[in-house]
Amino acid sequence: MKTSKVYIAVAPNRQSDHGIRGHLGCLFLSVVILLASSFVSLAQSAAEQGRNAITPPASSGEIFRLERLPIEGGAELVTIHARLEGLRDTERENWIPLVSVLRDTLGDLNPENDRLRYVWPLTYTRPTLKQRIAGAVPFLYTRMGNKKPAVEKSPPPVMDLAAPERQVWEKLFWTALKNVLLDGYGMPIKASSDSYRRNISDYRKSHIIRALSVLSLYQSMKGPSAFSDSEMAEIQARLLLTDKTFGGLVDDLQLQGYYQRKLTGSRDERAHNWELLRQRVEEESLYFEPLPMPDGSATHALVWVAKPDLVDKRGQHYKGRFLNISSPWDDKRLIDWKGYVETRYFDSDNRPVPSNTEGARSVEMIPLALYGLDNPKIPMLLVDFRDSLNPKKREMSRRILQDVTRNVLSVSQFGNLSYFLGRTIFDHVTGKRGMDINQPSRLRTYAQLKLLLTLNESLEPKLRDEIDDRLEKISLNPLENDLDVEAKLARSQYQALIAYAQREDGLAAKLDRDRRSEMVPLKHDKKEQVLFRAANILSLGLYTHREEATPEMEAKLDVARRLAYHTKFLRQVAKSTPQIEVVWNLEEIRRSLHFIAEHAEGANSAVASTAAKIFMQTEDNEIRRSCLDSLSRMNTRKARNELLRLSEDKRIDPTWKELISEHLSKTKPDGSLAASANKTSTNRVEQR
Amino acid sequence: MMVRIRHTSSNQSFLLPTLSRSAVFLLLGLSVLFALPTSGLAQTKRLVIVKCDGLSQDMVDKFVRERDPRTGKSQLPWMDHIFYQRGTRLANFYVRGMSLSAPSWSMLETGQHLQIKGNVEYDRYTLQTYDYLNFIPFFIARIGGVRVDMPAVEVLDSVGMPMLTDAFAHNERHVGMGLFQRGGRLITFQKSLENKFKRPPKELFDEWTMGLDVRDSVPDQLLRDVLAKLGDSQFRYVELMIQDFDHVGHHNNDRESHRFVLKHIDSVVGRIWTEIQKTPQADETAFILVSDHGFNTDERVYSQGYNLVKLLGSPSGGGHHVVTKRRLMLEYSLKSIYPLVPIITTTTRDSYYLKGQSTDYPTALLDFDGNERASIHLRDSDLNLLHILLLHLRRNDLRPELRRALGGKFFETIDSRRAGWKKTLDELNEELDSLRRRIEVQRSLWAAQPKKFSKEELAAGRDDETKRVFAQLDRWTGQNKRYTEYARILSNLLSLRPESFEPSKLKIAEVIAKNGMGERNSIYKLQNYVVDVAPTGFVLRSDGELDMQKSFLRLNYFSLLNGVAVRNNVQKGIANQPVDMIATRIPSHSVSSLSADRDIKPDVVWVYGGPDKQALILAREDARGRLSFRYQPVKNLTQDPDGRMRFEPLPWQPGLPLRIFEDENFSIPAADREAWLSEWHTDAEWLGALHKTEYSNGLIGLYEELAHHQAERLSLDESGITNDERLARRFVNRQRELIETDLLIVANNHWNFDVRGFNPGGNHGSFFRISTHSTFMVAGGKKTQVPEALMVVQPYDSLSFVPTILALMGNLRDDSNPLAILWDKGFRRFPGPVVKEILPTPQDKQRIAVTGVDSSP
Repeated sequence: MKTSKVYIAVAPNRQSDHGIRGHLGCLFLSVVILLASSFVSLAQSAAEQGRNAITPPASSGEIFRLERLPIEGGAELVTIHARLEGLRDTERENWIPLVSVLRDTLGDLNPENDRLRYVWPLTYTRPTLKQRIAGAVPFLYTRMGNKKPAVEKSPPPVMDLAAPERQVWEKLFWTALKNVLLDGYGMPIKASSDSYRRNISDYRKSHIIRALSVLSLYQSMKGPSAFSDSEMAEIQARLLLTDKTFGGLVDDLQLQGYYQRKLTGSRDERAHNWELLRQRVEEESLYFEPLPMPDGSATHALVWVAKPDLVDKRGQHYKGRFLNISSPWDDKRLIDWKGYVETRYFDSDNRPVPSNTEGARSVEMIPLALYGLDNPKIPMLLVDFRDSLNPKKREMSRRILQDVTRNVLSVSQFGNLSYFLGRTIFDHVTGKRGMDINQPSRLRTYAQLKLLLTLNESLEPKLRDEIDDRLEKISLNPLENDLDVEAKLARSQYQALIAYAQREDGLAAKLDRDRRSEMVPLKHDKKEQVLFRAANILSLGLYTHREEATPEMEAKLDVARRLAYHTKFLRQVAKSTPQIEVVWNLEEIRRSLHFIAEHAEGANSAVASTAAKIFMQTEDNEIRRSCLDSLSRMNTRKARNELLRLSEDKRIDPTWKELISEHLSKTKPDGSLAASANKTSTNRVEQR
Repeated sequence: MMVRIRHTSSNQSFLLPTLSRSAVFLLLGLSVLFALPTSGLAQTKRLVIVKCDGLSQDMVDKFVRERDPRTGKSQLPWMDHIFYQRGTRLANFYVRGMSLSAPSWSMLETGQHLQIKGNVEYDRYTLQTYDYLNFIPFFIARIGGVRVDMPAVEVLDSVGMPMLTDAFAHNERHVGMGLFQRGGRLITFQKSLENKFKRPPKELFDEWTMGLDVRDSVPDQLLRDVLAKLGDSQFRYVELMIQDFDHVGHHNNDRESHRFVLKHIDSVVGRIWTEIQKTPQADETAFILVSDHGFNTDERVYSQGYNLVKLLGSPSGGGHHVVTKRRLMLEYSLKSIYPLVPIITTTTRDSYYLKGQSTDYPTALLDFDGNERASIHLRDSDLNLLHILLLHLRRNDLRPELRRALGGKFFETIDSRRAGWKKTLDELNEELDSLRRRIEVQRSLWAAQPKKFSKEELAAGRDDETKRVFAQLDRWTGQNKRYTEYARILSNLLSLRPESFEPSKLKIAEVIAKNGMGERNSIYKLQNYVVDVAPTGFVLRSDGELDMQKSFLRLNYFSLLNGVAVRNNVQKGIANQPVDMIATRIPSHSVSSLSADRDIKPDVVWVYGGPDKQALILAREDARGRLSFRYQPVKNLTQDPDGRMRFEPLPWQPGLPLRIFEDENFSIPAADREAWLSEWHTDAEWLGALHKTEYSNGLIGLYEELAHHQAERLSLDESGITNDERLARRFVNRQRELIETDLLIVANNHWNFDVRGFNPGGNHGSFFRISTHSTFMVAGGKKTQVPEALMVVQPYDSLSFVPTILALMGNLRDDSNPLAILWDKGFRRFPGPVVKEILPTPQDKQRIAVTGVDSSP
């Protein structure tokens, strides 16, 4: 099998001049892991323009590298590697593979029949038995050792982008199974199974966040294009929707809008928290230091106290709300502080300046806390330099509340109206009051922090160590591995993935099976498909019906995928604007309509109404003719009805009506059942 | 001889008597000549206006020019298609005054000088609050039939300023849901919910999965309403208000968020345009996109908030209990979910002498909206003095000589104000007597109103007209009650006599009005504002009198505010001082030494940027009503207790307020600047020279915002009006004067004074060009003759909007005066110039209004 690799390097906006050594290197792993999808575009603009709060430093060298590995049978494995300057293990120049995505190209260069399939965050691994057992212990909120990094089995993907609905059915299936089989055995079993499912789910979620972060950061660095804009939006939206129970069922057309809303919302939250924290810190006479990510966006902030102020402001009134740390003004530990201290310099406008700046005054500072800014409502406390358990207790408050109600009291929001109301009021009140209990998990901000620690060159190494030490103590999930191990796991799993890709019975075979499954709707009608599905369920997955991959079926698959591509595009066009020529490139629309017309027998019913809609939304004669051509060639009841409707529309010129009538006369009144069957099958392909 | 002529356009033929060839040509020529006045005449018979809150011209231009990599078209394809390719856009259109919604829209609605000076206004005597932005109380009052129009409309009605929408009959106009909404359509809410769920199940399911967003339902319904009205030929005025950009801009400073929201607005514009094109009136329809201000947003920085409420409540800020219109976000209070409360008082625990009395005696009122500026009312410093003295006089442990001195000072203070207060009291009582008479008349009128209406009457808005009778009665009744109470207490204070004065038996609330700010403070008082007894206590002079300088803790609010600095200064290019400048109005006679001109207008604006960086903006008006300004740099302006101003003129130099002299974009060559700047120039000349500078038309804007502008229909000199009418006008004038604040505080770049929430994305409200640079674009059907693909570079401000639109429709007699039919509706001369570039050439101008009337009084 041909396994040539193509490497494409991506230069960062910034790069640390001095290497980040030691264990911090592996942080980068999770590092890159991290970037929340939210700061993607901030990053883009920062890269373009440079920033302050958000200032990207000058860059040199490369930070990301893209690798494309061709897979036999017509696919490619796209992997994003990142360079971890701080890795202890310096082999392979600190390049760590972070995320791989499989793109099924059907062996050609035409993107219209490409299909994105599996996403592997390479730090995501199968937990060990010990970890699994610990994960099933209720109320065990701590990590339990690491998995050995030597992995031979190919890593598990977090999702199949071509079949997002699968996770919905799996989730429902397991929920039903648990309710029917396990919950009846009493509280211990119920609590244990809940705890296990919860930890597994959180573990997967954290790695989905990491995958999102890596993709976002890669995108923001504007490296060689790994994915088109629409592909990137699709991947990110699909990954974001894994949070929702029925997220896998959301129509593809909604993905772009959903992604945009999430992006805007998360940036709103970050900016809000940045400002809230700055104002609170100012009010309490403390010092605020935003910590920029490589793209210049500040996702975290440190809060300091000036040593001289501890004397000058002793006993000063302190309002700990939102800061969620104890008062520094009557804390004896700070007077005799043995921990980290840093001397900072300020000019006459209180602006931080280098030590050699003329007229700069020096101030000895003690770090008090570190906050994550990407959370709803209020900044999230991640590190309390005086009380390491403070953030963990806050994170645990949320888990305990959920575990007690669900596992001990056996009440759920959906099954108990009183609890639902009480919980809603409680959440509203705590939210309105900005209370840091029962807040959303710190999972994401922790992940971002790890990235930041690796890349932010303004942090002193000793301070990084202090933060890093505290971070490791906070994880609540027994399935998690530590950062060093994750870095090694990523390498090891990537090797396993490559080996899997190169095996005859490996990825290529899986791809082949996937395609043969995809061919089923091309040959069988809906009833038969239902039967196959039933057989699959009843045999607990042992039997899966697949078609034989004959050249004819492969050609059909190619057409079906391209039809799905053009149908989706035309739906997007029709939905977006009342007059398409103003907004869209007509040539692209024309091409799609021609393809639909040429393969009208396989087009699904949705495209008929789309073509009719486009006809009404354009004044371009050629596009209009193409619409009519597509409709008449479809020769289905739906298409005929659309033509009939157009022929009766009073807004249409008589000349066009004549033409519509001509096309109408070409269609058969009843359409053909065979064609209908084909519609169904193509529809199935499109939805996947 | 007969000649057969084929009329190509109609495909009909007819015979004419045989004529010579030349005669035929003559006939043809004549027919063309006759045809011109009709077919070539500009005819704009319908207006469709999209009003976008905060839509910055710079932002629109940036994205229109940017190409979408996939389509190769503009990122805002509809705006490009409609306004850039088929319409006219103003490249330099500015807010005149503050870049703030309520004032700015008021000018865009009326075409007249500012009467509304903030998003919220407080009456100094009664604390009546004009909250122009809060829709919820309005709709609740609308449901209850107590109110018909938004508060801003009521105020404009009271000063006799009709809005552009008033040029159209009730059944000809469809008004958007904006701050200047005349009549509110409650049905919109019902329909919005219905339509939210009237969608294909899959779409609903997807939305539910992704998070049901009901906030979009009302804007979506408003758009549906507009599209429906476009199909109805009777509607000649249709508008849609879009607030999305302002909302997103305040929260997000990133390019992507801005692009998303602009693309949404672009698609709305496209839908409306497409709908217009489907109607028979398309050729006669002008489609307009206008915004009320720009937006100061920068991807590189977050806008930083400074909390003036905290400052004013702190000991160094005066220990004020502060009134705002919304709760402070930082409090994260549960109470904030209650939207009907008219005012919020933030209690300070650092109050010097009013501890625990925040709801009775707030002493500072703050309007922070727009956020790059704040306006502050401070209670009359003399009321503070009297209040403090009274509190001490009520003590039993005072030494007799101190009691005597305090008592003496108490009455000395009253006597020093007696003449002014007495005049106010007398006039107010006169006005209230008149008001009571009008209330009786109004009550009878209300009683006579019909209670049921036919379908035709409803369509004509008769029901709303009837409800307005009640709303007026209700408003007057409330005013009568509140002002009568204020007058009673002021009267009590004036009636105090030393010989019968027994402070211990006196109820303070009976002589010092609760929730009253009293008169506006003079410069002297603002520079020597009494906040408490000095820490060392009262000091008596050798003659036994109270030493006023040593006995009281005083604040100079100019230096206090100007000197505010923060310790956290983490963003490059942002000053650590939140306040840029402070401005206030002073009477021109106090600075008469500055100019030999005798016709200076009564108001002068003083701008404070530090003790040695100050300016006076003087104005005058020529016979044609054209304004001219002069900017005089000064330093060390102070006022004596007796009212005399002292200051030192300064030569032109860098660093003065508005930083004109050093601005690279100031159009006057450097060598000529000092001479040019030292002279009087018309507002148009200033605008032309300054509009591209950092502060753009700030000089004009400061005057517009702070000076009084007499509404023509409130003139007391108009002949033929009754005494009651004159008193009514005087009363309204008084009410408008009572909302005047003591200080306008303008934020430094990227600073804001928002306390209701956090607005790190960006803000507006200042006089920076980025905040005042607004959008005004027009496109029209063939008959409107709006030029295509035209960019107007000549600067204009928002005073030009209404006259330009009316001129486009042929409703102006000349460039300034409305036709008779509009005059009868209350329209008067428009002070702003029309944007001539938009209008058809003179020979094509429509000579008569679409109503058929062609003259005005």
